[in-house]
Amino acid sequence: MRLSRISKAVGVAAAAALALSACANTNTGTTPTSDAAGKTGGTATVVEVNAFNTFNPNTADGNTDINSKVSYATHSGFYYIDNQLNVVRNEKFGKMEKTSDDPLTVKYTINEGVKWSDGTPVTAADLLLQWAAFSGYYNDADPDGKAGTSYFSYAGDPTGLALTDFPEIGDNNRSMTLKYSKPFADWEIALGGPGIDIPAHVLAKKAGMADTQEFIDHLKGMPRGDAKAPKPADTKLKAMADLWNTGFDSKTLPSDPSLFLSNGPFIVKSINQDQSLTMVRNKDYNWGPEAKLDEITVRYIGSAPAQVQALKNGEADIIAPQPSADTLEQLKALESQGVTVEQGYQLSYDHIDLNYSGPLADKSVREAFIKSVPRKDIVDKIVKKLDPEAKPLDSQLFVPAQPAYADSVKENGSSAYQDVDIDGAKKLLAGKAPEVRIMYNKDNPNRVDAFSLIRESATKAGFKIVDGGLGGSDWGKALGKGGYDATIFGWINPGVGVSGVPQIFRTGNGSNFNKFSDPEADKLMDELIVTTDHGKQDELKVQIDKKIWESAYGLPLFQAVGVDAYSDRITGVKFMPNQTGVWWNFWEWAEK
Amino acid sequence: MSQPSQQDEIVAEQGSLHRQQAAGIEPVIEARGLSQGQIVRKRFLGHSGAIVGLVVFAFIFIMAFTSVGYAGIPGWWKYSHEAVSPLVNGGAPTASLWPPAWGEHPFGQDRIGRDLFAMTMRGAQQSITIMVVIGLIAGLIGVIVGALSGYFRGWMEAILMRLTDVIIIVPALLLAAVMAQLAGRRDEGSWFASFASTNGVLALGIFLGLISWVGLARLMRGEFLSLREREFVDAARISGASNARIIFKHILPNAVGVLIVNVTLTMSAAILTETALSYLGVGVKSPDTSLGLLISQNQEAFSTRPWLFWFPGLFIVLICLSINFIGDGLRDAFDPRQKKFNAKKAREVSSPLAPEKIPATVKDGTAEDGTVSGDNRGG
Amino acid sequence: MVTYIVRRLVTAALILLGASFLVYLLTAASGDPLAEFRASSAPNKQQLMDSRSALLDLETPAPLRYFKWLGGAAQCLVPFAGSCNLGKNIAGQPITDALGHALVQTLTLVTGATILAILVGITLGIITALRQYSTLDYGVTFMAFLFFSLPIFWVAVLLKEFGAIGFNNFLRNPEIPLPVAIGIGAVLGFVAMIVAGGDAKRRALTAGIVFAVVTAVLIYFSVTLWFRTPGFGPVVIAIAGVGLAFAVTLLTAGLRNRKALQSALIAVGAGVVAYFLIQPLLSQATFLMIVLLAIATVLIGTAIGYFVGGYDRGQSMRAAAITSFLMGFLIVLDRFMQAWPAYFSNGRVRGRPIATIGAGTPNIEGDFWILGLDSFTHLILPTTALVLISLAGYTRFTRASMLEIMNMDYIRTARAKGLSERTVVMRHAFRNALIPVATIVAFDIGGLIGGAVITETVFSVRGMGFLFLDGIQHVDPNPVMGVFVCVAITAMAFNLIADLAYSALDPRVRVKA
Repeated sequence: MRLSRISKAVGVAAAAALALSACANTNTGTTPTSDAAGKTGGTATVVEVNAFNTFNPNTADGNTDINSKVSYATHSGFYYIDNQLNVVRNEKFGKMEKTSDDPLTVKYTINEGVKWSDGTPVTAADLLLQWAAFSGYYNDADPDGKAGTSYFSYAGDPTGLALTDFPEIGDNNRSMTLKYSKPFADWEIALGGPGIDIPAHVLAKKAGMADTQEFIDHLKGMPRGDAKAPKPADTKLKAMADLWNTGFDSKTLPSDPSLFLSNGPFIVKSINQDQSLTMVRNKDYNWGPEAKLDEITVRYIGSAPAQVQALKNGEADIIAPQPSADTLEQLKALESQGVTVEQGYQLSYDHIDLNYSGPLADKSVREAFIKSVPRKDIVDKIVKKLDPEAKPLDSQLFVPAQPAYADSVKENGSSAYQDVDIDGAKKLLAGKAPEVRIMYNKDNPNRVDAFSLIRESATKAGFKIVDGGLGGSDWGKALGKGGYDATIFGWINPGVGVSGVPQIFRTGNGSNFNKFSDPEADKLMDELIVTTDHGKQDELKVQIDKKIWESAYGLPLFQAVGVDAYSDRITGVKFMPNQTGVWWNFWEWAEK
Repeated sequence: MSQPSQQDEIVAEQGSLHRQQAAGIEPVIEARGLSQGQIVRKRFLGHSGAIVGLVVFAFIFIMAFTSVGYAGIPGWWKYSHEAVSPLVNGGAPTASLWPPAWGEHPFGQDRIGRDLFAMTMRGAQQSITIMVVIGLIAGLIGVIVGALSGYFRGWMEAILMRLTDVIIIVPALLLAAVMAQLAGRRDEGSWFASFASTNGVLALGIFLGLISWVGLARLMRGEFLSLREREFVDAARISGASNARIIFKHILPNAVGVLIVNVTLTMSAAILTETALSYLGVGVKSPDTSLGLLISQNQEAFSTRPWLFWFPGLFIVLICLSINFIGDGLRDAFDPRQKKFNAKKAREVSSPLAPEKIPATVKDGTAEDGTVSGDNRGG
Repeated sequence: MVTYIVRRLVTAALILLGASFLVYLLTAASGDPLAEFRASSAPNKQQLMDSRSALLDLETPAPLRYFKWLGGAAQCLVPFAGSCNLGKNIAGQPITDALGHALVQTLTLVTGATILAILVGITLGIITALRQYSTLDYGVTFMAFLFFSLPIFWVAVLLKEFGAIGFNNFLRNPEIPLPVAIGIGAVLGFVAMIVAGGDAKRRALTAGIVFAVVTAVLIYFSVTLWFRTPGFGPVVIAIAGVGLAFAVTLLTAGLRNRKALQSALIAVGAGVVAYFLIQPLLSQATFLMIVLLAIATVLIGTAIGYFVGGYDRGQSMRAAAITSFLMGFLIVLDRFMQAWPAYFSNGRVRGRPIATIGAGTPNIEGDFWILGLDSFTHLILPTTALVLISLAGYTRFTRASMLEIMNMDYIRTARAKGLSERTVVMRHAFRNALIPVATIVAFDIGGLIGGAVITETVFSVRGMGFLFLDGIQHVDPNPVMGVFVCVAITAMAFNLIADLAYSALDPRVRVKA
């Protein structure tokens, strides 16, 4: 679904942050040599839910998972993210190096021989175009949208690159140097990967410029946009931006091949609208991990049972269906016919948050409520079938994959809420019977079941639980608006992205829906966002986690489980927790 | 929803033509000395399919409403559809045919341990409720609109029929989505939202009823168009009867066959509509349940925990089948011409009957077009 | 007549205008277009919401947006201007493009199913009416209601499991064990016993023959691995052709009309000769060629009938034309079967021909026959599902209509004057019974392009239903309006056609000007 637009943005940030905070052992300078068995050549059919619709996956409207995946397979860049959430550099493509810490300066150099599929070399101009689009440098639209221009409609978060000045182009247009005005933790994933997807020379030509040099000069000549002093729109840049925004949208293969140029392992060969998309190997490509398959076909199937049946019938080779216990069981049953099933955690988790107002304003009532939430039972009944090892999530900021998780769990006091404690809750309530209205998404079966179990248990403790579930299109609107006392919903790993922490937990911030407010935690978070040292970040986060648990904020329930499966024809598929899914190592896929 | 009938202005002429033919020729041998009600009853009871349908439906009805209780009245079954209990035997059904045993959870449990028998019974209640509500509302509106436009004609007919046309072409799925959206809102404070959020099923039934009357209205209009030209209506008019009296005492009883038959069949289609809407996520919302919601929620369990899929599905099929057979029986019972036909009998001589004595007939099968239409569920 | 049509068209336009306004407002009110961003913790959440608002023009109130939309849609009325503008969907695709594509998808899916359902439904309806209250009647009624009562996604899942996956597994080694062959023979024999009329002896005989033949054929299929390399060959075609010739003559002219039988048999002979002559031509077949050949076949049949003549030349021509058309069908079917092994072992199909999803194997290449088989294997499951559930309507409707006609005076008159039962049924009853059915059929065809939302979802076909549903899910009125306008216009047009057809078919009915 389109949710993936944000989730991808958050996911990439989260993945990177996770990688950085976890170990910082970025595999610099190595391109992994795949050791998976399997011959070169052959075909594979991968199933996706959504239909492809644009060759530019960075726009606000084109940023669906499928567009990003196709772009990932057809473009290359300075790095990619592996399934351990490490940032892996691709030095065959080019070099990305931090030349100075203060001010933070990053130099990107693209290797000779890297070229688009029309033969034009990939140059700093392409990187500059990406920078111009991602940083929003030239935007001068005022917040009301009355004056000024917003050029590129970029789906991601521009805050990092907004700290940079106009980059320096050098080395015969092969290198670009970025200077940040403030330290920025996520500099590694800010630019230049996993794919440089829009060719500047095509855009320049279509916008009426002679060549990329004119494009570079034109951008250089333009000042940074200022929302306070909007200027008339620059026609050339506007033309390019419009092309960037919508010019690459197409549900069929465009007749103009410059609209789907590749600089990666594959190139799109044919598109059957709303049915399938086929990519074949890019013959020129030798600047990165080389693909084994000759051809990858993507087919679109919406429902999980249909995906499983397609795999069973040999129409699909690789699927990653929406996981459920039954889907998993069906897939397991296919293991006898050679299907391999993989599971793992995804970067999202469900949680119940209590409002710091109404019947739950009193901390002892919140504590009593938390004590009555049957987390083990919820995990047993909702996730256990998917993952027999599943345990309740014990941290608001970390996931078990991170080393700091264990430390944080020891410190944060979550051990008090391991088991349901109805007697303890009754004691805290002291005979009171507060009425608690729980809001959740009625259209999400996991939330509905979690609600049913919580209601069952909390009622025993003396709470009066009111079913405040809302329809799929309404519950989001109701978040933070009141009208409920507790809410069950999911975050996509907010704890790992450093900027996500204050967004949710700082007093008065946009996603702080339950109005949690702790001056000390606020102070810690202010410190957190200006800290670039990963060890220090973890330390701060452990402290914040503790503060959150101490105030009986609510409870994280469980991490979502993901599933993928592939037929016996294929090898080399590996599970990936983030939105790239199985595609992360598509070059290792091979026919047996 | 139900398929709109194809009649329009043409129907008037066509209908009366049929009527005249029917009046003169049809031998209704069994009808000698019996009232219309007696004939219908006799014919209905002679229709074995309908009787089986009636028995099965009565059984399901009683079981559904007594087992888990209704409207606050407790039932005899120990679990409710919302109560969670520990999983017995991995949630598999405990009922067995031999030795006959009922067990703790005869139909099994879902993944969090809710009793499937209780849920299925609750679902059957909901489905039956939807069905009855739709039948009543669609029947009532259909009769009123059809009768008014067919009897008075003129501007009344023009307005009502154009309204019918508009409702026919507005997609039911869209209306259901809007409805689901409204029912999902509870903090808006409007009386409708609060009603819809507490009585989701009832609201859905009322809403579906409000759009399913169109086919029926067209049929009733056709009936009225032809019946109002008949001699007995003229006779009543001459003897000074008011319009209301003519409509309710003279014409309606003659159209009651078409009405009942179509209402039953609209009802069976209604269950399937509910199923389809629940499948698309705009029908009944959990944690409340309906048969349609149960099978669409559990479709992934089809091969792994089949009971979650088969039991609610079985009840949908049973209810639908029995209602269809009851409707079929009623149609045969109300239509004197639909008797066993064979060449020998066809040559027998028979005695004519007074036109008033002939019960209203289902005009050349249009009775069915509002009902057993495949495409409303083709969806 | 003309005034009537004009009046109907004007009202239709007004209704369309009113209903489209209603639909637009309803879609706009059916949800929260920004729902997917509400629970986001992305730092640029507001920016994403603003961009979506701008895309959907949420600042403008819905009623005004409707008129903006209407302004674009009105351009579609200008012929050949090519400035039709129904807006874009969230993915940035113009609705006109999306509609064109969805329409093709949907029509491929439902056309075959509807035609089959109509043919089978009407046949069953007539048979059950002629045998009212027989075991067959009850059986068909029960099955029709049963299939009608099944939720379609349920039927679809079952079909995929057994019809596709199970059958493909069977094809891996298409041997039918003897007990299974006997079992299938017995079941079909039992069905034949129910279907066959007459006394107990005749029924038992029918059952016995069917059982023996079916079992023998299955054993033959198993031994020769027929399902891998299916085909008729000229001998089977000739035998089947003779059978068809008798059946067609029986229905159209009666076996007593020797000349008709003669011409039908000549047509069969011509067909067998053509079988050999036409094979090289068929190897380069295109769709157009098949259509032309079909027309030629019918013309040849008619010519045969004309020259054989007889006291009723028309009957001979009809019998021969139908027979030769069916022969042509058999030959084409045989050619498809000849292409089966090549399709079966195609690198993209890999020995699992029956598909569970989509409308075609991606990137498959081949001649007319391979591509035809590919469409067939993809359409067979959804078509079966749709036919099963829509059978009930046509069967019951035709049955009721036929029963009514059979009790009419003129049928009794026809019998009284000594006409054969065949003539009474085929000439007098059947045609008149079809009149009300024709209107229903016209109406159904009008509703065809609305698509089958659930069937499309289950079989991953992105047709009109999907477009509509997707629009509703994203609270995006443009695709919803596009589908609605298409469906409403066709529905109303066919409604009008149905009414006109009624008056054309039934001379007693006159349209009121």
